[in-house]
Amino acid sequence: MQELSATHFLLLSAALFITGMMGVLTRRNVLVIFMSVELMINAVNVAFVGFAWEQNSMVGQTFALFIIAVAAAESILGLGIIMALSRRMDTVDVADVTQLRD
Amino acid sequence: MSPEVLVFDILAVLAVISGIGVVVARNPVHSAVALVVTFVNLAGIFVMLRAEFLGVVQIIVYTGAILVLVLFVIMLVDPDDLPEFHAGRPLQRVFGLLIGLMLLGEVAAAVLTRTAVGQTGPWTADEVERAGGNVQVLGQFLYSGYVLPIQAIAVVLLVGTIGALVLARPDEAPSRQRQKVTSTISLGHPRGADGQFLEPLPLPSGATASTRVIKREDMRGGIVVTKDADAYTRQPAWQVEYGPESTRTPRQSDGSGTSGTGAAPREG
Amino acid sequence: MVENSQPLWISFIVGFIVLNVLLVGMAYMTWAERKVIALMQDRIGPNRTGPFGLLQPIADGVKLLGKEDLIPKFADKRIFVIAPLISFVTAPLAALVIPFGDTITIFGEEINLYVTDLNVGVLYMLAVASVGVYGIILGGYSSANRYSLLGGLRSAAQVISYEIVQGLSLVGVFILAGSMSLVQIVNDQRRTLELFDSGIGIPNWYIFYQPIGFIVFLIAAVAETNRAPFDLPEAETELISGFHTEYSGFRFSFYFLAEYINMIVISLLAATLFLGGIDGPIADGFWWLLIKASIFLFFYIWLRATLPRFRFDQLMGIAWKVLLPLVLLNVLITGFVRLAFNDQIF
Repeated sequence: MQELSATHFLLLSAALFITGMMGVLTRRNVLVIFMSVELMINAVNVAFVGFAWEQNSMVGQTFALFIIAVAAAESILGLGIIMALSRRMDTVDVADVTQLRD
Repeated sequence: MSPEVLVFDILAVLAVISGIGVVVARNPVHSAVALVVTFVNLAGIFVMLRAEFLGVVQIIVYTGAILVLVLFVIMLVDPDDLPEFHAGRPLQRVFGLLIGLMLLGEVAAAVLTRTAVGQTGPWTADEVERAGGNVQVLGQFLYSGYVLPIQAIAVVLLVGTIGALVLARPDEAPSRQRQKVTSTISLGHPRGADGQFLEPLPLPSGATASTRVIKREDMRGGIVVTKDADAYTRQPAWQVEYGPESTRTPRQSDGSGTSGTGAAPREG
Repeated sequence: MVENSQPLWISFIVGFIVLNVLLVGMAYMTWAERKVIALMQDRIGPNRTGPFGLLQPIADGVKLLGKEDLIPKFADKRIFVIAPLISFVTAPLAALVIPFGDTITIFGEEINLYVTDLNVGVLYMLAVASVGVYGIILGGYSSANRYSLLGGLRSAAQVISYEIVQGLSLVGVFILAGSMSLVQIVNDQRRTLELFDSGIGIPNWYIFYQPIGFIVFLIAAVAETNRAPFDLPEAETELISGFHTEYSGFRFSFYFLAEYINMIVISLLAATLFLGGIDGPIADGFWWLLIKASIFLFFYIWLRATLPRFRFDQLMGIAWKVLLPLVLLNVLITGFVRLAFNDQIF
């Protein structure tokens, strides 16, 4: 691996994605889950931009830009939900939010 | 080892370590700071990949806006740490690590043995230079083929903003019935200019010194002032009496609270 | 990626010089502020330490260094230490892309008088300012002090609101220049414009084309740097100095100096984007940039001495209800005019 190639970026993207996934599956604090989701989204962005670089194309960068915009909108709503949730239930532990289950 | 690979290695290792820090940190604020570090490293990687506009947009939008919002919510919402998998369940941690490493191994196997597919586009570094730079090329590309997704994104962001406004609205105050509200303020025992105790002022008619709730037939503007020492010492500083229609009970606090100006609490 | 035409070590040296000049400028900015405010208030200001009080910044520095370094007991130590550093480090980073002059030749080496010329130069400066918000939030949070937290959150809310306005006010400049690179923006402003074929040439400065953008940028810049009249979150009479209440000694000086460096960098940016930077009638050069930046710095000090503070809700109301629609209108009009008069005037 002497020259920079897309393999590097894909490995980085995979590592970040798996880390984020572990965070989502393991943590109970809803804000940390949210941040792990953002980490996963960024891992995907890295993959897109890596491919765009490898293939000299702009499509990857465009896609990554749209992903950033959509992630911004999703984060606004997610945080609004988290705030409303915490106000109602006074907790940010997802293990306590069991209304639909019970 | 070309310098690009070296720079990439440093940035990537830092990004992954911070990513692990996001997941592992006990304090959500530490998680957020680790995520900031990750994003800044990723922005550096984007710049290295000839996507400068995306790099600065990542910092402006992600670290500068989204994570600031996350920090706001953390500080306004999260009182303290939760006893999570840090406190116990070590088996889950080990399993999590093992599964993560297995997945990483599988993906690495897939990545290292891949063959590139797809057409290469025309935008090599020189082409981009000639067209004026990354921003110019991206602008041409976006606004010639992707106008509709841009409009759609605008609508998405608008929906997000309105949704956030709706979700974060404070709970509406429960409608109260009209009721008569009386407030009484007890001023302290009157003192003169030299600090000597003066004669207590006469109570307004209808008020007795020992009553805890002072009825008022002669209220002036809804406030009755009593300046009697005895009435004061057992008197709460603020006392609200609700009308008979309401279901709330009048609040009564102990008489040891401070009240008014010049208050001299008499009891210990 | 754009290959920088000068070797890396020259960029390092230029960067080093820029950083040192910024630091010295920041120190004497404190002196200038005290002197100018004093003269506006009919007093004299520092005049004991050295002639005209010129050694006052050194005295201030020594005093701040000598103070005890307190960390509150329940403070989050790591973040408490890092937070002022974030502010202080990101402040001069923005000055990397400002062109201080043309290419000069020393000892046969061509040296560009800027550290780097990014394709997205102005956006880079905005990005660096965005990261500076974390110094405020984390400082307020880690102080284990309710008032600091509130002050930090308020200050951060103010900064991110005015960041939006500031960024949008520059979109007009981008439309006019066709680029976000500061070197290209300066080069575009150096053209001389014939004024209605009368033979009088005026420089092509963007302030003539973007009056609304300029005014909004100035207001947003003052609010961004937490300066008066927008300095409610850190005013001593309000939230007990807000987010830097618990910081003492050198840590406090990090915040304090970061604010001044921010002021200087934004003044340089305003001079470059709207007044043409190094463009001048007689000879292009660094001194014109200095003079123009000094005008803006004087304007900052003047505002502080003159205007009363805004209340926080007034502050936010101005950003979202007044400046944002105004700046969006500006973008609309600029784009429309640029399209309509395509390459005829510009």
